Amino acid sequence: MDRDSTTSAAVNTTVIIAAVVAVLVSAVLAPVAYDFAQSSQSEGTVSVVSVSGPITDSRVDSIAEDLREVRQNDSAKAVVLKVDSGGGAVGPSERLYLEVLRTSNEMPVVASVQGFGASGAYYGMLPANEIFVLSSAQVGSVGVIGSAGTVPIPDSIIRTGPDKAQPTTEQRRQQIESLKRQFVNRVMDHRKQNLTISRERIAYARTYLGPRAVEIGYADSIGELPAAIDRAAELADMESYDINRKEPPQTRGFIFATEVNDRIQLYRQPMNGEQPVPVKRPLMINQVPYHDPGVSHNASR
Amino acid sequence: MQAGEFKRPLQVFVGIVIIVLIGAVALPFVTGTASPAADNLASQQTDQSSVRVADYANRSAETGTIELDQTPQSKTILIDRAHGNQLDDEKLSTMVNALVKAGHEVQIASQSQARGSAWNESLRGADALVVVNPTKTYTQAQLAGVREFANGGGRVLLLADPSSVSTGGIFGFATREQSTQSTALTSALGVSAQSGYLFNMNEYENNFKGIYASGVSGPLADGIDRVVLRDAVSVQSASGQTALRTGEDTRRESTRRQDAFSVAVTTRNVAFIGDSDFLAPQSVYTADNEVLVGNTLSFLITGKKRPNVPSEPEPESERGAPVPSGPSGPSTPSGETITPLPR
Repeated sequence: MDRDSTTSAAVNTTVIIAAVVAVLVSAVLAPVAYDFAQSSQSEGTVSVVSVSGPITDSRVDSIAEDLREVRQNDSAKAVVLKVDSGGGAVGPSERLYLEVLRTSNEMPVVASVQGFGASGAYYGMLPANEIFVLSSAQVGSVGVIGSAGTVPIPDSIIRTGPDKAQPTTEQRRQQIESLKRQFVNRVMDHRKQNLTISRERIAYARTYLGPRAVEIGYADSIGELPAAIDRAAELADMESYDINRKEPPQTRGFIFATEVNDRIQLYRQPMNGEQPVPVKRPLMINQVPYHDPGVSHNASR
Repeated sequence: MQAGEFKRPLQVFVGIVIIVLIGAVALPFVTGTASPAADNLASQQTDQSSVRVADYANRSAETGTIELDQTPQSKTILIDRAHGNQLDDEKLSTMVNALVKAGHEVQIASQSQARGSAWNESLRGADALVVVNPTKTYTQAQLAGVREFANGGGRVLLLADPSSVSTGGIFGFATREQSTQSTALTSALGVSAQSGYLFNMNEYENNFKGIYASGVSGPLADGIDRVVLRDAVSVQSASGQTALRTGEDTRRESTRRQDAFSVAVTTRNVAFIGDSDFLAPQSVYTADNEVLVGNTLSFLITGKKRPNVPSEPEPESERGAPVPSGPSGPSTPSGETITPLPR
């Protein structure tokens, strides 16, 4: 009798332990099973690619690699560019433009401007099917800025011609003017259906807040990132989709302060040799976005 | 467990690996490995003709020579460098070379020639005065001297550029705006300049600040169809005449007002041009700029100044410090004198 009751208690204990273990295992496996079931119903993936900070060679290398992976991935059906950049150097900006164009030739691309989508960053997002902006976003700055000449080369350096490493101010004006025309041309090409301002006004290189940017045709809609993702999926004819986020690699750096316009400005110097970038402050009205000190997309055409 | 018992599983393992690897190698030969053709998007998206600037249709021809009017005798031209004048050596050399080549004498007024009575003394020895972008103020005595100089037949050329912004600081990020102190001088001579540079977004020379201006009337406008001014301001005169005027779609930066702005005016003995960059060697032979240089220098050497003008100045105080009466400054000009070439 006692032996039977002891055996029964042991069985009950084992059952309880088994039940607890089963619940724990199920709790771990259920999300996996849920995701699996959900993925099996997904019609494809919307890839979110970040375009943030100054547009530099290394940053565009990373973005180009992300976009190439997306193009080669059969499950990727659309791309959303998550943009927060005030521009950068000319070469990388054109490379970004061409990479986005190559991608948009294969699948829908939607840009979502978070803070800044100006200058070279705006250049890069031009091929997007649609551009979403926040009300506080600053968009535009269609133009180029660059130094008027180079530092004089000492006589101890031997050159093979007067223009070697020493362009004249007039030559620089012509180069910058040519780059500006190319930028404005491409804005006209890609946004001509929406633009309500003239080519001359575009060349003023003004930066517009989101609502005004939509009015003049620089952007298509006011909306946040999830709305842009949903729109990208819609353009790709997907009702059920997965989201794959591609964030840029983090770079180390140090902070230094310098005087700008009689005010102290903090700059962050990346360790990878890139140009120093200003440390962001809370958004101010009419705040001028950062522009690369070298030739960069920013002013007028 | 005997070692022989591992033999069978090992054979299966190796067999599977070999089959998979052979399959991986053979698959590309079966399916084909041609790389997808890459479209040359950069070429497709570039319109060569629209981005070409050097051969732009309205590009100005860089030809011509600087020609000055003939005068019966050599004239002395005093160029002010005593008031922190923003005039680089290249622009200065354009004026000096043309004047010296034509047989005239050029004196460069140093700071010592602006102290006390030395300023008026320098003016008395000159036939014409050139003042470009002064950044230091003129004393009342100096202003009176220049006014008397112009009223006495001495020719005065004023050149004014917009405020300039220079960079500095440890990392080159600090900026400093440098504006000129010419308002008192220009108003004393009956002319004035507006703040803010002029620009044109429709018709320009390589850059929106490189505006065109056409000749209107007066000695400065003779033979000028169109000149290029790289960084100009609008100038006015109540009693004078407009010498150069911009196109009607020119705008002023500070107000964005669109108008045909006068950029050069002349009165009887004063010429005021709202730009000095046309003297830079890179701009001298663009469009009709060399004609403008010739007209401007001819204006300087064709005046008829009365002798002993201006008269001896009244004693004055500079910055509150008492100045002894009489010729307290150097009795002779201590600035550089450039004599004419042998003719």
